[in-house]
Amino acid sequence: MIGGGTLLGAPLIAAQTDIIPRGSRSAVFNQIYWVFLVLGTLVGVIVIGYMLYNAYKYRAGRAAGSERSAESGEGGPALGELPQGSGGGRKLALSFTLSAVIVISLILWTYGTLLYVESPPDAEESMEVEVIGFQFGWEFVYPNGNTTTGTLRVPTGERVRLRVTSRDVFHNFGIAELEAKADAIPGQYTDTWFIANESGTYQAQCYELCGAGHSYMNATVVAMEPAAFERWYANTTPANGTTNASPEDAATTTASTNHGAKADVAAAPGATAPRAAALETNAAEASAERSLAR
Amino acid sequence: MTHDDHPRDDGPGQAAADERTKPDDGSPRTDGGRATDGGHAGATGELPATGPAEEEHHGFPPMSSVKRWFVTTNHKDVGILYIVTSLLFLVFGGVLALLMRVQLWAPRAAGEGILSALAYNQSVSIHGLIMVFWFLSPFAFGFANYVVPLQIGAKDLAFPRLNALSYWLYLFSGLLLGISFFQGGSFAGGWTMYAPLNIPAYTPSIGASTAILALLLFVVSVTVSSVNFLTSMHRMRAEGLTLRKLPLFTWSILLTVWMMLFAFAALLAALMILSADRLAGTTYFAAADAGGSLLWTHLFWFFGHPEVYIVFFPALGVMAETFQTFTGRRLVGRKWFIASMLLVALQSFVVWMHHMFLTSINLQIKTLFMATTIGISLPFDLMVFSLIYTTIKGRIRFLTPFLFSFGALLLFIIGGITGVFLGAVVLDYEFRGTYWVVAHFHYVMVAGVTALIGGLYYWYPKITGKMYDEFLGKVHFALYFVGFNLLYFPMFVVWETPRRVFEYDPAFAPWHKVATVGGFVLGASFLVMFYNLYTSLWAGEDADSSPWAHSTTAEWAIPSPPPLENYPGIPSYGDGSLSFLDRLGGSDRAADGGEVTDGVDVAGDHATDGGVADDRRATDGGTVATADPATAVERAGGKSHEHDAGDHGEGHGPSHASIWPFAVSVGAFLTLLGLSGLQEGAFAPGLEGGLYMALTGVGFLVGMASLVAFGRERFHGLEGPFGESWPFEGIENTKTGVWIFLASDVVLFGAFIGSYVFMRVASGWTTWEIVPGDPLPGLMNTYLLLTSSFTVVLALVAAEKGSRGGVIASLLTTFLLGVGFLFNKGIEWDHLFHEGLWLDTNVQASTFFLTTGLHAGHVIAGLIVTLYLIVRAWQGAYLEDSGSIEYFGLYWHFVDIVWLFLFPLFYIL
Repeated sequence: MIGGGTLLGAPLIAAQTDIIPRGSRSAVFNQIYWVFLVLGTLVGVIVIGYMLYNAYKYRAGRAAGSERSAESGEGGPALGELPQGSGGGRKLALSFTLSAVIVISLILWTYGTLLYVESPPDAEESMEVEVIGFQFGWEFVYPNGNTTTGTLRVPTGERVRLRVTSRDVFHNFGIAELEAKADAIPGQYTDTWFIANESGTYQAQCYELCGAGHSYMNATVVAMEPAAFERWYANTTPANGTTNASPEDAATTTASTNHGAKADVAAAPGATAPRAAALETNAAEASAERSLAR
Repeated sequence: MTHDDHPRDDGPGQAAADERTKPDDGSPRTDGGRATDGGHAGATGELPATGPAEEEHHGFPPMSSVKRWFVTTNHKDVGILYIVTSLLFLVFGGVLALLMRVQLWAPRAAGEGILSALAYNQSVSIHGLIMVFWFLSPFAFGFANYVVPLQIGAKDLAFPRLNALSYWLYLFSGLLLGISFFQGGSFAGGWTMYAPLNIPAYTPSIGASTAILALLLFVVSVTVSSVNFLTSMHRMRAEGLTLRKLPLFTWSILLTVWMMLFAFAALLAALMILSADRLAGTTYFAAADAGGSLLWTHLFWFFGHPEVYIVFFPALGVMAETFQTFTGRRLVGRKWFIASMLLVALQSFVVWMHHMFLTSINLQIKTLFMATTIGISLPFDLMVFSLIYTTIKGRIRFLTPFLFSFGALLLFIIGGITGVFLGAVVLDYEFRGTYWVVAHFHYVMVAGVTALIGGLYYWYPKITGKMYDEFLGKVHFALYFVGFNLLYFPMFVVWETPRRVFEYDPAFAPWHKVATVGGFVLGASFLVMFYNLYTSLWAGEDADSSPWAHSTTAEWAIPSPPPLENYPGIPSYGDGSLSFLDRLGGSDRAADGGEVTDGVDVAGDHATDGGVADDRRATDGGTVATADPATAVERAGGKSHEHDAGDHGEGHGPSHASIWPFAVSVGAFLTLLGLSGLQEGAFAPGLEGGLYMALTGVGFLVGMASLVAFGRERFHGLEGPFGESWPFEGIENTKTGVWIFLASDVVLFGAFIGSYVFMRVASGWTTWEIVPGDPLPGLMNTYLLLTSSFTVVLALVAAEKGSRGGVIASLLTTFLLGVGFLFNKGIEWDHLFHEGLWLDTNVQASTFFLTTGLHAGHVIAGLIVTLYLIVRAWQGAYLEDSGSIEYFGLYWHFVDIVWLFLFPLFYIL
């Protein structure tokens, strides 16, 4: 029964391949978002406009005067009557049907994209990175075991799959510009993917309130030309990752946002000492990562 | 349509009644004299118009007396208390919101701005909790308390003391929440309280525990209230008021309460488990391997999505009522409007996972929940169109209540359209955790607030007997509407801002500044409202029974404010429209009748006394029964009501005062405040821990003593039916109440059992190590409980046969069997403890101890009641009326049945 929707959706996609948005997540999102925005605005303007128009048209004139004289209007609801409705059912049914058709067809249209997003056809060919959230930063584990903190490096133009989890509390890993997002749940893995078409740096953030450092729980996503990425990746090893910056370097880095978060947590009455210390280390690592990235 | 052709003697006023078909008399405004009669405006400043006479008759202090407000159980008083209290919480939550908006004026590095990171998180969390729980629902239920009994034609709710109890529990839960800020900081994990951030390992402050316990107490209050409302609304409707004919506000409340009953039971389970995790050290939500984090999201959203409709439905009801009144047209497609609400109420329980599209749920489930989500949005389209079409061909008067309702509809349309975006899963993926969600649900929920504010202006004259200032009302609306959109619309524009952060892309800063300005405008608009409503209490023009043209519902047919006993007779819609029957015969009605029969007199009376006259009516008219001295005594709380069973509701003289709801709540408050000091099942050593322990002890004693006093007090509520009671015609109020309560208890246990199954599946069903290694004690307990169920049946049989000895013997056997059950369980647990198993050992132990512990708690509660029944039976009770034993039996059988599920689940499978 549950699978019914999927089965129903499949032929739909086959039939309308051109209509269903595909491509990078950003492209998909933008297409759908703009269609919704335009249609939504249109419907909103029409409905609210109609509502205001009627309200103006059928306003009681000032001449109608007080509430008392309004009462004398014939045929209106009267005190003590048993509640009843007015007619107009056909019009109501019509507008309801119309709205239902618009909404359902919009959603069905996006459902095709959902199927595409959920199981991109060439899933096997892409790189998979494990993302581990912790209070308050992100750790990335590459297929070769290389582990970095605070910076995720990916090749441009390639699909990157993320397996997201958490080491402590519920986080959410999201890269706004690349439209990738997944919950980071302790003990569970969630999957998402993205394609960065342009090289450059993007910001990843935590999208689920996770404690005092939540506002600053960021990571940098560096999209590199495939060749550059391959060169970098070939040099990484599971043991030491790419970070060779000494802790002293990290400590002297000018107050990055992560530093701020750490200071704040340490000041918070609730934070236990070991956790604050752990955070400090993480923050230092993150800063080190960042300084390297620049 | 008019009452003139009405066959029955519906008393007074009607006869003389005007063509306007008012069942009630006075429309002072048409009566020229009225306006000039400023003289008594001052006089009515004395709201306390219920003079000493009333105190004499009712043993019930006047409204001016502080004491009145502590002992009152009258639904109108409780309604006022709810409204006033919830507005205080609106201010509380609003100030927290403004603090956040100030912090968001610009992107802040840590330590910048007025709030520290943790303080910001607390503001976010408590703002959400207060607005959703302590403001919105109670505000709506203030109106529900006041208006619903009036609309269904009841003199009060079925269980007036429970109504007062709900209020006091609500108030004290709010106080607990306030106190939590001073216990090392309140809860800072968001209003969704996601696990495992919500456990002490991550939010260790005592205040965080207190906030959770405060919410727990709030949920208890809601459950009590739900049972009460459902019983009242199903059992005590006036003749002719079938469910189909209920006014829309009442319909919206009815559905709201049904949703509350089940949804809040799930939240209760979630909070009980969370409290156990925080205080006793169970490991549900910390258990990553057993899906603890995901479990919370399921439990929370199973409650959380119906909650959206729970807070919005009353607003819909207000909109429907005010659209009818102020457009002068009946609602278009009323039938379909109701059907839509019904559909939404049902569907609301199958959409919760749309809050979890980014968790690890699979595609099939996502598809299913996408479909249900779209399904639930469609009925709202119909309701919106229905409201819009109602305005067509109307004569719309843009008075303050309508402005707010109309504005609410407009805002709700925007909220609805932006909600469709979220229904598209692909878009939801990106909107998750951003300001799009924030903006969307504020447009929906605060649209609800907008309509309820309209409701406040709508019923203000009814409640206070005074008109508010129309100009200031309109100023309020203008500021409110502008402020609202300035505040929330920019959030759509910069929707890419992540939620609950204060460090954001500097490019968004201008829009956030606009939002902050809007927030202050919105806040300021409420100052206008408070000023207006406060000064109008004294300076306002007197309101007659119905200041609005085209109002239809029964509350407008009686004076403003209504007399204590609401109606001048028994309300009935038997012949198609409202009339007040007088089944007591002329003499009793004379007092009241005299006032109303003769139209001239009425007008005169009102003109001279205004509001006072109304209250006088409560004193004289309402208490017709004073003709009968016996009843008068009984009013004072003296006698049981059997003797006037022949009388109709009217002569009953229900009680109105009891201090015990307040006292019970104080006990609960102190107990929970004390318990907040617990961690890992122990109080901290030293003075602080000792203080918390003492608080717990004192609170427990106060609570138990008050409960006993509550039980012993002779309190005379109302017993239906008065007309319509579908579908509970043959079942008395208390029995109905017990059944409804048990229905919510089913959900509570269901959630506990579901949690156990969920965690066991998540960690591998077959590899799960069953905690009680030996099923024998469980098996013995199964037999003990089954036998005890049988003995309760014997007690009932004995009571019906009039055998006092039989009743006592059977109850005593029940009690001993129950004690045997607990004793056996005690040995079993002690054994397990010696094996080194404790609540926090592992998730297997946690689920076992907590779930069977909850059941044991039910057994203990049952035994306390049994003990009480035995004592009363000893004194000779129950031989004539075995009701109490029967109701207890229902509960006891339920507890047994639960065990029949728990035993195989925990011991065998």
